[in-house]
Amino acid sequence: MRLYRKEGNTVQVLCFPNESVEKGDYLQVEDPKQNKALLIQVINVQFANVPGILEELLRDSTNNGDVINGENLDPLDVASQITLIQDARLLICKIRGTIQNGKLSVNSAWLPSRSQSNIKRLSTTTLAKMLKINDKLPIYIGDTKEFSPFKVDAKALDGSLNIVTGKKETGKSHFSKLLVLSLIEHGAPVVVLDLNGEYVHLGYASNGNKNQHYSKIHVLTPASNFKVTLPQIGLRVMLNILVHALNLPGTSAREFRRTWRLLKKQGKLNLHELGEAIRNLQCNHHVKDALFSRYYALVNSGFFTDNPSEAMTLEDCFRKIQTGGVLAVNLRDTSFVDRQIVVEYLLGKLVEMLTGWKLKAVFLFAEEAHLYLRETYWNDIVTRMRHFGVFTTFVTNQPDTIRENIYRQVDNIFLFNFTSEHDLETVSRAAKVDSETVKSLARDLPPQYCLLLGRVVKDFPIVVKVRALDVQTMGQTRLFFN
Amino acid sequence: MQDLQLPQHFIQLSLRTLKNIRKGNLFHPYTATQPASPTAQMLEEPKRLFTEPNKPTLRLIPLKPIKDDTPIIAVDVSSMKIGETDIGILCAIRAAIVWKQRRQYRYVRLGPFPFHITEENKNEVYHLFRQYSFFEQPTLDYNSTLSLFYAPTRLGALFERWLQMGISVQTRNGLILWDGSLTAGTQDAPVSVMSQLLETARNRSNVVLAFTKTTRLRLFGYRLTDHIGKCTPPCLVEINGYPIALSNAMRLLGNIYVAKLSEGNCSFRLDIDRKLPQEKAVEATQRLVGNDILLQSYPETLRLAHIYSTFTANEVIGIQRFLVQTHKLKIVTRPNVRRLLFGPFGKGPES
Repeated sequence: MRLYRKEGNTVQVLCFPNESVEKGDYLQVEDPKQNKALLIQVINVQFANVPGILEELLRDSTNNGDVINGENLDPLDVASQITLIQDARLLICKIRGTIQNGKLSVNSAWLPSRSQSNIKRLSTTTLAKMLKINDKLPIYIGDTKEFSPFKVDAKALDGSLNIVTGKKETGKSHFSKLLVLSLIEHGAPVVVLDLNGEYVHLGYASNGNKNQHYSKIHVLTPASNFKVTLPQIGLRVMLNILVHALNLPGTSAREFRRTWRLLKKQGKLNLHELGEAIRNLQCNHHVKDALFSRYYALVNSGFFTDNPSEAMTLEDCFRKIQTGGVLAVNLRDTSFVDRQIVVEYLLGKLVEMLTGWKLKAVFLFAEEAHLYLRETYWNDIVTRMRHFGVFTTFVTNQPDTIRENIYRQVDNIFLFNFTSEHDLETVSRAAKVDSETVKSLARDLPPQYCLLLGRVVKDFPIVVKVRALDVQTMGQTRLFFN
Repeated sequence: MQDLQLPQHFIQLSLRTLKNIRKGNLFHPYTATQPASPTAQMLEEPKRLFTEPNKPTLRLIPLKPIKDDTPIIAVDVSSMKIGETDIGILCAIRAAIVWKQRRQYRYVRLGPFPFHITEENKNEVYHLFRQYSFFEQPTLDYNSTLSLFYAPTRLGALFERWLQMGISVQTRNGLILWDGSLTAGTQDAPVSVMSQLLETARNRSNVVLAFTKTTRLRLFGYRLTDHIGKCTPPCLVEINGYPIALSNAMRLLGNIYVAKLSEGNCSFRLDIDRKLPQEKAVEATQRLVGNDILLQSYPETLRLAHIYSTFTANEVIGIQRFLVQTHKLKIVTRPNVRRLLFGPFGKGPES
């Protein structure tokens, strides 16, 4: 390999076909005189623009639709060198830093010699050692291109906002499950807003037997084993549900607040009495109708109960996962409105517990959050709630559903394959590396390969083949022709 | 045709010249855009043929294509200067033979063969080459005539003759297409050799058709090929009344025609063996029209032979790399004197 050109932070390297280099690989350009090496990453591989190549291709192609058969008698084997040049590649690389005395720094303010430099591959394992990215609490993500295990530090996810994104069937859900299970192995409490009921069987191995995680997986299914009483929910959360999930107008909300307080004072705060109170309200009939319709929405959700033995105490659930466990909220058979009700309750309760220091911190995994999270909660989760200890990981195949101001605060992106320019553009704006890198590497990622960006890899983009999990993932789409 | 034996002597000669490259010899590679060597045609073709007292005449011969699957074989050779060493020049030669039979084109490419020609070995190389090619001793004093500048062209021309002989020997009842004319008596096309080539072809019922891509010959003040302008193709214009002997040494071994074999703007000088009866020559041309694809009056077989032998810029780089790798040459870039002296006005090739 030879250093060919440098423009800005882009370096072009000439490479021959016998030198196996792929997108995502790291190379070090060693300058023996300066006794240091420039660390570059290959983001694209092109054919070198060799003069005369068009003539050669035309010559070797068909003639009036017929292939011309022939024989080349080349006893000195000069053609091997010609073929080598035909297949010469140009590696488009980005400068990532400088290696001097075995230490890596982000300095890129120097230029190695074009004529004297040696270029060689730097294995991902060596890079990881230099970066010290798997020091304390390792999470085994998968394997590098050199088939060695690649681990990241769980601490890099602590206090972070993460996004797992990629197009359908590239392995996002699988990866987020891997993160969930790895976090609980390190004793972290995890809450999963499980839109498709994919996490409910995480406690079972693929053969159907219980696995080592079984006792740590707790599934909450709204209207089934996840019901609450009105006193549990509290006025503030209820108003949030009514206003944000059920769009109750302000005037009606005021009337509801008054009714709620009255019932509480009388010790009659339950669903039945609430219905009666609304029925007997002496107020504008529009307000009454509005309250009634919301009341029936609450009743029909099945999430509320007047029977305390049916009700579930979220505090108890959180206590179970405090030393490592998953609370998977199964939203699979829940309607859009009911999902919003459940999530409003859950997040409200979560903040309440965190502010009261009943819970230290929690990792929240939200799959396709735009389908149940109200607009204002987005900012709330990534800013205010983060300070209370809710560390969110959004999992989505629609990156444009996440707002730009949220992207700006992202610490880690786990990026799977995307082919849509629009999606790549959206993600590339958020990443802490240049957009060219994100677009180029993500476009050609095979399924199950993940581009790690951000704190977990200390801002050195790394491509990893995500390891398999022996769990019932349930993330597969139901098929008709099966 | 595939059984054509590889010219072992040629390979040995190539290796022998390369042996005089010493490890660490300086090598100044030429870029592929630098001017190519003059072609053999340029060196051969007389400028003045149709002089006033001869009063040549023209006769139009319309052609009727004959489709009969006559084998058509074409040969072409390319030579290219690859660069300079501190003691000589490096060049490469490649040949292509293309033939059409039963509507299928096939080819054999020979080479590229690199040569290192120095002042010391140039005459020996040339001498040996002639010996290998024609089994005869050179009759002229080549010490005074072969310059390094023309060496690639000369070697290429000799190689071409060798292949033409091979084809003539191995083919029967075919049309053999040459790139160039049937002018003999030059250093690389002695009358005896050329006559022998044509005779060998004739004895095996072959007809040699030699196409000159660009002729410098003029007739009545006009370029020779312009005399066929309005004729309906396919046709030939036969030219009569010019001398066969151009000088004491040079002879025209073919009858000169202007050929317009298909629609289009181009026509070519076509030389056909003088010793063939005219009907046979015309019939051979009709067979060519009937059995080969003609693009702008030029036979596809010969076009392919040219294409397969020509060096592309990439191939030149590949050969340079081969020489550097195999002989551990040290690449140097000589300063471009024109650029040094004239800056952006210093155009043209490096001297």
